Amino acid sequence: MSTSTISLDQLIAWLARFRELVTEKQSYLTELDSAIGDADHGSNMVRGMNAVVEKVGAAPATAADELLKSVGMTLVTSVGGAAGPLYGTLFLRMGVSAGPVTELDGAAFGAALRAGLDGVVARGKAEADDKTMFDAINPALDAWDAAVADGGDIAAAASAALAAAEKGRDATEPLVARKGRASYLGERSAGHLDPGATSSALLFQALADTVAG
Amino acid sequence: MIGIVVVSHSPALARAAVDLALEMVGETPPSIAIAAGAGEGIIGTDAVKVAHAIDEVASGDGVLVFMDLGSAVLSGTMATEFMSTSDEVRLTDAPFVEGLIAAVVLANAGASLDEVDREARAAMGAKQSQLSDRDEVAPAASDTQAADAATVDSNAAAPAAITAEETIVSSDGLHTRPAAAIVQALAGVDATVTITDLTTGGGPVSGISMIGIMSLGAKKGDVVAFSATGAAAQDAIDTLVEMTRDGFGELES
Repeated sequence: MSTSTISLDQLIAWLARFRELVTEKQSYLTELDSAIGDADHGSNMVRGMNAVVEKVGAAPATAADELLKSVGMTLVTSVGGAAGPLYGTLFLRMGVSAGPVTELDGAAFGAALRAGLDGVVARGKAEADDKTMFDAINPALDAWDAAVADGGDIAAAASAALAAAEKGRDATEPLVARKGRASYLGERSAGHLDPGATSSALLFQALADTVAG
Repeated sequence: MIGIVVVSHSPALARAAVDLALEMVGETPPSIAIAAGAGEGIIGTDAVKVAHAIDEVASGDGVLVFMDLGSAVLSGTMATEFMSTSDEVRLTDAPFVEGLIAAVVLANAGASLDEVDREARAAMGAKQSQLSDRDEVAPAASDTQAADAATVDSNAAAPAAITAEETIVSSDGLHTRPAAAIVQALAGVDATVTITDLTTGGGPVSGISMIGIMSLGAKKGDVVAFSATGAAAQDAIDTLVEMTRDGFGELES
């Protein structure tokens, strides 16, 4: 089935799938984080997404902005690590950009994610190749936008975004971290995937899984 | 009086740092709120908690926020978007422990947000000068103070200054507690006071800068000069002379 919009239910399913993926990969994320951080990214993301799914289930949102802002605030108050304010900002700004709608077309969803990423950049001051979540999300959004501009449906855009996110994630391995705890390690941070870029790639995998036709 | 917020990954760390700072002040400490940990027993920070802490201590004179590291800084910046107060809120890059102690002492003396922030950010100066060779202390101390407007306006001491010279008799010299005691004693006194260590040439430093006073590194046997101007200059000098002779309450009997 080819569709050109993402519904509120699909957004909720996306979040649930993201929770499943971070739960499956919890020990892997923590292992990545123990190499160059403080070994809490897996448990922090699982705790945050469990809280999100519980919150969304308890008070079903009636519009995308309401849903996404609630997700953002829940992450801010439940994650604990730097991922809290960063993923929290991503969803809060997405919510503001999405507005009180019940479905988003490809361009609107891409614009919302872009607004979210801009918020993350403003918060964390990250640039390309700093070895952060930016390195997965930014190319994913470029790929999403290109697919949508080419007339691709949501599934095609999500698939292109996932491929770009994974490529961006893999490209963080040789980088020397310039932001966050990993930057304390200097050159020793090279040779490891960035945990934040890895969880961000899962966000796009969750999206692709959710909207796959 | 300004409010102070302490953001840490660890509630125990924040509590201990605040308790240490409160050792330096009397019965009526400034308004301090802690935002530490993320939920039950989770090490981390929560921007919403930080925003609530800011709102709790804001009383019109501004709020200074201390953070330990990493997500504490992100949560601190994010909190400024969630808070309801219209008070000026300053996230300081001051060292967590040294800065907090300096800030609590000066805030308790009624200093402004700018003055307290400046003092807190200069708080590494005392440790730096303590750990450097003593001969290098004097210039380092004056550099710190030159950057510190709470310190000394070079013209202020010029006309009609009342001065006194005293020998430090307490065995530990002008360390943290005596420095805090001096700042407290001068709080609200209508006088501008400077202190110089005549033995080492350190200073002059402001009498209401705990860090400045500590950076003198004045030891037992050093001769220090107090200089004061202003309506209550004589009172200020009398108080300082008495405190010094009394060994800041730390004389060994």
